[in-house]
Amino acid sequence: MMAAALGPPEVIAQLENAAKVLMAPPSMVNNEQRQHAEHIFLSFRKSKSPFAVCKHILETSKVDYVLFQAATAIMEAVVREWILLEKGSIESLRTFLLTYVLQRPNLQKYVREQILLAVAVIVKRGSLDKSIDCKSIFHEVSQLISSGNPTVQTLACSILTALLSEFSSSSKTSNIGLSMEFHGNCKRVFQEEDLRQIFMLTVEVLQEFSRRENLNAQMSSVFQRYLALANQVLSWNFLPPNLGRHYIAMFESSQNVLLKPTESWRETLLDSRVMELFFTVHRKIREDSDMAQDSLQCLAQLASLHGPIFPDEGSQVDYLAHFIEGLLNTINGIEIEDSEAVGISSIISNLITVFPRNVLTAIPSELFSSFVNCLTHLTCSFGRSAALEEVLDKDDMVYMEAYDKLLESWLTLVQDDKHFHKGFFTQHAVQVFNSYIQCHLAAPDGTRNLTANGVASREEEEISELQEDDRDQFSDQLASVGMLGRIAAEHCIPLLTSLLEERVTRLHGQLQRHQQQLLASPGSSTVDNKMLDDLYEDIHWLILVTGYLLADDTQGETPLIPPEIMEYSIKHSSEVDINTTLQILGSPGEKASSIPGYNRTDSVIRLLSAILRVSEVESRAIRADLTHLLSPQMGKDIVWFLKRWAKTYLLVDEKLYDQISLPFSTAFGADTEGSQWIIGYLLQKVISNLSVWSSEQDLANDTVQLLVTLVERRERANLVIQCENWWNLAKQFASRSPPLNFLSSPVQRTLMKALVLGGFAHMDTETKQQYWTEVLQPLQQRFLRVINQENFQQMCQQEEVKQEITATLEALCGIAEATQIDNVAILFNFLMDFLTNCIGLMEVYKNTPETVNLIIEVFVEVAHKQICYLGESKAMNLYEACLTLLQVYSKNNLGRQRIDVTAEEEQYQDLLLIMELLTNLLSKEFIDFSDTDEVFRGHEPGQAANRSVSAADVVLYGVNLILPLMSQDLLKLVFDMLVLQKHNTEMTTAAGEAFYTLVCLHQAEYSELVETLLSSQQDPVIYQRLADAFNKLTASSTPPTLDRKQKMAFLKSLEEFMANVGGLLCVK
Amino acid sequence: MQCSALRKNGFVVLKGRPCKIVEMSTSKTGKHGHAKVHLVGIDIFTGKKYEDICPSTHNMDVPNIKRNDYQLICIQDGYLSLLTETGEVREDLKLPEGELGKEIEGKYNAGEDVQ
Repeated sequence: MMAAALGPPEVIAQLENAAKVLMAPPSMVNNEQRQHAEHIFLSFRKSKSPFAVCKHILETSKVDYVLFQAATAIMEAVVREWILLEKGSIESLRTFLLTYVLQRPNLQKYVREQILLAVAVIVKRGSLDKSIDCKSIFHEVSQLISSGNPTVQTLACSILTALLSEFSSSSKTSNIGLSMEFHGNCKRVFQEEDLRQIFMLTVEVLQEFSRRENLNAQMSSVFQRYLALANQVLSWNFLPPNLGRHYIAMFESSQNVLLKPTESWRETLLDSRVMELFFTVHRKIREDSDMAQDSLQCLAQLASLHGPIFPDEGSQVDYLAHFIEGLLNTINGIEIEDSEAVGISSIISNLITVFPRNVLTAIPSELFSSFVNCLTHLTCSFGRSAALEEVLDKDDMVYMEAYDKLLESWLTLVQDDKHFHKGFFTQHAVQVFNSYIQCHLAAPDGTRNLTANGVASREEEEISELQEDDRDQFSDQLASVGMLGRIAAEHCIPLLTSLLEERVTRLHGQLQRHQQQLLASPGSSTVDNKMLDDLYEDIHWLILVTGYLLADDTQGETPLIPPEIMEYSIKHSSEVDINTTLQILGSPGEKASSIPGYNRTDSVIRLLSAILRVSEVESRAIRADLTHLLSPQMGKDIVWFLKRWAKTYLLVDEKLYDQISLPFSTAFGADTEGSQWIIGYLLQKVISNLSVWSSEQDLANDTVQLLVTLVERRERANLVIQCENWWNLAKQFASRSPPLNFLSSPVQRTLMKALVLGGFAHMDTETKQQYWTEVLQPLQQRFLRVINQENFQQMCQQEEVKQEITATLEALCGIAEATQIDNVAILFNFLMDFLTNCIGLMEVYKNTPETVNLIIEVFVEVAHKQICYLGESKAMNLYEACLTLLQVYSKNNLGRQRIDVTAEEEQYQDLLLIMELLTNLLSKEFIDFSDTDEVFRGHEPGQAANRSVSAADVVLYGVNLILPLMSQDLLKLVFDMLVLQKHNTEMTTAAGEAFYTLVCLHQAEYSELVETLLSSQQDPVIYQRLADAFNKLTASSTPPTLDRKQKMAFLKSLEEFMANVGGLLCVK
Repeated sequence: MQCSALRKNGFVVLKGRPCKIVEMSTSKTGKHGHAKVHLVGIDIFTGKKYEDICPSTHNMDVPNIKRNDYQLICIQDGYLSLLTETGEVREDLKLPEGELGKEIEGKYNAGEDVQ
């Protein structure tokens, strides 16, 4: 428009002026001027057939920004007017642009890249209708490369890089208004032929450079660019031929791409010279840390080669053998640079993860042994360097990252017991295990906190509560080391035992000395804690490793005793004296070595009893009033370990094993004195911790978790409730007196959960009655007493009343958490009484958000834990209660303004909780055990087969209730997300459900949005396709109602809709 | 009360002033150190912010706070007339200064219920 109205010189003048405004400092121009200038460029880029004018600009203007805009205008116009343009003129335009760049070596980088991008876009658009041939481009590029002129070669590299980015993935491609389908098709065509062409050209350049002796700075920079290009090619995310349209976006977003080329790459990549070239290149440049990153990344990609490129297993074996040879030649005998560590470990990790075991074992056995030796050596050495990094507190922990990768590779490698003979990895495992332990122990046994020259460094830093515990932060490392410890159990278990036993003795001695000092001079509190801290830290790591070695961390499943441990114990059981073993176990207060015959005990039990000895030293120190000298961290480690151990070993279900070790079944089996003793011991520990450590939240939390473990399985609970202590604990907690009421609310909740779980142990009716009278009834009585007071309304804000209410609500959450399939009937009835009263509380505390939130939370928990077990009428009760809650909530909150200045998420805590509640209710739709289960039989006769009310109905009704509390823009948001944006397919269902609800609620607005969307389509074909699709989408559910069947139909249509038009609308 | 048993939104005496706890976090010195509690409270009368850090086993004073809701009847000469639950009228309280006072006055003039 503008181009037509003005002559080229005027256009240039206008654009140059606008560019001046845009580039001016903010103080020189006002906002309006700036916007006007922006508008000039925007309309310029939209002008019809701007080619002649753009060429003119490129040839005459001296303003870089204007040149950049001209290139952009060409790029956009070519795509826009493609069908109208003659192929010849497109071809000449492309030639013009290339020549232009070639003749102007001094162009600004951003201008040059933009022009090359325009070229790439032209090539890409042309590749679809085969009107433009890539071949000619490659011919030109190879001529540029062979020129030998570094500047020209750099330009050639830029051209190739631009092409590669443009074709590579939809996230890197330019916005040229074409559909995902188009981008996907272009990519497939490109990766078959042209990409390989680029790779060959690159390889040639690299070969050339790797042969040269001395590279000057300029040549090395060219070298580096081509190496980066090679890396880009090898990291290409090959698009599989038959990937559905809407999966493309998801596929493209995957990180960590492994090299899986199509068959056509066979000759190129299986040529052993290619692999050799990259090893050679790396050897040549490895001291240049930037280039080494690229060369190692290329090798790591080659190490991940898999897929149809290998015609048979033999070729895969050859490739792998060759690769490992190259790798060993490259790294053996050199001192590895810091910058190489991560790259090398990625290579190894890829080899081990990608190549199947049978291929790995098929390479020459000597070569394989060297490879494993090398892996062992590197693991130990990276581990030591990682420890040094920690001491120096480096920001960039390259060795830690490399160490993590290698340990993970070990885990993959040793978990296979089919392809390697037993004991194959034992010696390696011993080495890696030893070095791990060594790095984590203080001198003289270990090297912890020693700098490279052997100087100890120690800092007392402030640690915030947000800092992750080592057992979580290093869980992957510990899992690998634990696994290695298992396969070398013969070495590792006795090692851990002796290290622990020795430290227990020292700790005991240290604490005694401190006590004597305190007794001698009560005032002197300045004791040097270094010795103690070192011991605590040693014990900390030894317990963590032992925990990971002896047992797995499972969630929801029954953890089994690891087979290696079982076998180890069985293997030695004939040499073991059971009575001495039991004696060692049962006397944690005595030194193990003071027990006669202590060396003929079961090693696994002795390791456990070493930790019990740590625990005993702790308990004694507490009794001696030395709590302030103890480490809460160690306390945590102890109960964490005991929980993990108890879950796996205590009262094992013998049916789950082929064979059980005799020492195990004698010491911790059903109906043994050993198990009764140990349960008593653990319970005592829990009770002591809860009173001594109530001020250490994490420790208290780990402690109640141990308690839950003791009662969550019926077999253990049966023994627990026989302990006098248990009943005392229950009474004490019900009375809400110190020290238990000092515990933090999550801990109190979990304690309540444990107490409820314990109530379902096997007891006679009378005892059971008595138990519930102790545990649950006080809760109900206290609660009713408070809320039924005549002046409750007036005193509800008094602190002690509020505290009472809060404690009750917390306890209710805990009770709900204790729900299991066989107690749901009782717990549900108990909780329902409360829920009704809670709704009343909503009214009373409507101006006290923290209480309101807690009330909603009770509902959330009940729905979460119980809805799946409830039959029709019980579910109805719960639905009704929830809806009443929402009604009250909605009534109280309509129009309320949130002016709280606290963090956003906290402000909307109530809404979040309500969404959670609705989600939990909705889960009834897909997790429902009520029909197949007998929990409510007898409670609920005549269960109807077809439900009259579904969870979805309730939820939709609930959404309706709270929706006015949110903005109506939600519909637009969901709609946008589903239809117009690249999205994750996992979200389709969730978004779809929300979408449907919103469509139901705001039908008019929905139609309007569809209209707007349709009217924005100019292409009649696309318009028709879209209109059809929208009609189909709602056809199955017209008029849309909140009915489950219709909703399901809608979701199905939506899926089809997404497949049909998703790619079309998702324009990039 | 033991420091660790305090709760956010609860009350505590910080530097001699009764405060509502708005922030509570814990930390420790060294991996094997004992927990310390970091408290941030707002003075319930002056709105001033107070902070304190103490061992989590420490005992803290908790103020005895009583909250009463009154129905506003009218505003006269900068004083409020308030209806207590027992039906008596209390007239000894000033209209608060600042934002809160303006808000109360605004609502009162608009004829809304004010408690």
